[in-house]
Amino acid sequence: MVSKVSADGTFVSPYLKTRLDALRAAQNADGGWGYFPGKESWLEPTAYAAMAFAGEPEGERAWKLLSSWQLADGSWQTSGKVPISSWGTSLCVTIAIGRNEWNDPTRKGVQWLVQSAGEESAWFQVVATKIGLIKGRNVALKSWPWKPGNSGWVEPTAHALVALKKASVKWPGADLRERVRMGEGELADVRSSDGGWNYGSPAALGVDLPSYPETTALALVGLQEKKDLGGAFELASKMMLDTPSPLARAWLKIAMRLHGMNPPDADDAASKESGKNLDKELGKELSKELGKAKGDAMVTAVEALSAVEGNWSSMRTAESSSTGARG
Amino acid sequence: MAAAASVAGVAGFRGGSANRVKPESLPYAGKTVPVAVVKADSYSQDLENRMREGIRECGLDVRGKTVLLKPNFVEFDPKTCINTDVAVVATALEVFRSLGAADVRIGEGPGHRRDTYAMAELTRYRTEIPKFDAVFTDLNRDDVSSIKQFADRPEFFFPNSVMRADLIVSLAKMKTHHWAGATLSMKNYFGLVPGSIYGWPKNELHYIGIPTSIVELTRVFGPKSFAIVDGIVGMEGNGPIQGTPKKAGVMVMGSNLPAVDATCCRIMGIDPLKVGYLQTAADRYGVIEESRIEQRGERIAPLRTDFQLIKEYSQLRLA
Repeated sequence: MVSKVSADGTFVSPYLKTRLDALRAAQNADGGWGYFPGKESWLEPTAYAAMAFAGEPEGERAWKLLSSWQLADGSWQTSGKVPISSWGTSLCVTIAIGRNEWNDPTRKGVQWLVQSAGEESAWFQVVATKIGLIKGRNVALKSWPWKPGNSGWVEPTAHALVALKKASVKWPGADLRERVRMGEGELADVRSSDGGWNYGSPAALGVDLPSYPETTALALVGLQEKKDLGGAFELASKMMLDTPSPLARAWLKIAMRLHGMNPPDADDAASKESGKNLDKELGKELSKELGKAKGDAMVTAVEALSAVEGNWSSMRTAESSSTGARG
Repeated sequence: MAAAASVAGVAGFRGGSANRVKPESLPYAGKTVPVAVVKADSYSQDLENRMREGIRECGLDVRGKTVLLKPNFVEFDPKTCINTDVAVVATALEVFRSLGAADVRIGEGPGHRRDTYAMAELTRYRTEIPKFDAVFTDLNRDDVSSIKQFADRPEFFFPNSVMRADLIVSLAKMKTHHWAGATLSMKNYFGLVPGSIYGWPKNELHYIGIPTSIVELTRVFGPKSFAIVDGIVGMEGNGPIQGTPKKAGVMVMGSNLPAVDATCCRIMGIDPLKVGYLQTAADRYGVIEESRIEQRGERIAPLRTDFQLIKEYSQLRLA
């Protein structure tokens, strides 16, 4: 079930190889990736692909491009064409620390994240909450928005927590620790009644809203050191088998691996249950999955990260801040 | 995280981005526009001819145009009917091709979920629309271009597939909406806003104000739009996600989005003159007065079927 992928003797599974090959073919001349092959480079797919190729030439070219997108305030812009500060700053800080770049650009990125908060924590929203105009949220907490001037949501909050926890290894400031505490508190505060997370609203007009697999996974990535997550992993395992989303499955695998668990693999399970030749069936599944994503570079990159021998540990916050390339 | 968004939405009712000008000098003051209402009892019964009839009644010519069909598939819940039915989308694809459009594509940018293709699978778009992947663009993750001034934002980005289309067809679902009163062809354009920049949900629109954003999207894209609202089975109550199915048995069509939405409201038993975003759009970007909407096809009164309203919007009920 393994095949050789590079001349340096690194071995990867067919699952990972197909994804890395697809990414190599889709890398733009500027070193980045579009969301889809042939499209302009954007921060998000480029950052995930850079993580997947950490320590390899493709990753170096990607990081060179990403480095050129840092703005004067320390944040990273959304794409070469979109000069708006992005939540993806978290991904770039995570990559930089994985590269052991404890330098001024990384410090400025960390400082920007520490100061960035959802608009709901602005003074007028806090006052409105205290006098009862806004209900249903704990304004003592702070989360991270997709872009400045908006409310905080689960996905950008999870990534900011990863970046800041990794940064805390060498830059353990009180402000940073406080933001981590509040961010974790916010994730706990917006957990859905079914035990998972959606984009960040557990209820609307008093009616419970269900969680989603992809955001449940991301919240678990942001809450790596938390032990009191009862029920979340049972739910995540069920989601893994039920969801039609390859992106969600990849994030669920990453989350479970980061929590020291072996994720159930829906595709493997399906192949085994069918009683057919696993190699043949897996090959078919791999093609189907890649086809499903329509060459989707972002999904493919997250899938590559999620493989058992992929670079999922680049998001690990507990022990080491080093990304460590495969092999 | 949601509370701030809902307050921003309510706050938006206070305003609108349109400048204060004399009513008689507004672009649509005194004008009439056509809207077609066609009966459609089910998603399997003669949908193609019904759709052709409505388009013909409105005098739409799509020959040589690049057409972007914009359905609503914001979420998925097998227990209810959140999205534009796949039969309506598949039929529109065939009809617009057969009417001589140079190219017909489908595009959507769901507001809550990251994996648009998985959503397309759940909604059966991917399995029931032939060669779906070849004609579909995920508007959340398309390359973008900017326009100057959107509400109070000096610059705003939209997907290139939207900017380059000659005609956008708002294939909306007839639903009540717990922050806007009703979501129809105008509100459906929230899905034109790219999540890659503005997030999931597209919270920037909540801070601009939901009604203001609806009107602004109509200002920008209304002039190159046509609407087909799927009211065959709509949603009442706590829409747009958690409501319950409500059969209205109609499709409502037209080139003027406010007029189409006002007509839908009357069918739903909602007074369009009390819906904030329609008030703001009236005469600026379209017509909402019944007397100035040239009704084609079916008459409204016999088709009226009151959609249940949440108590916050009970005052919208049409007399």
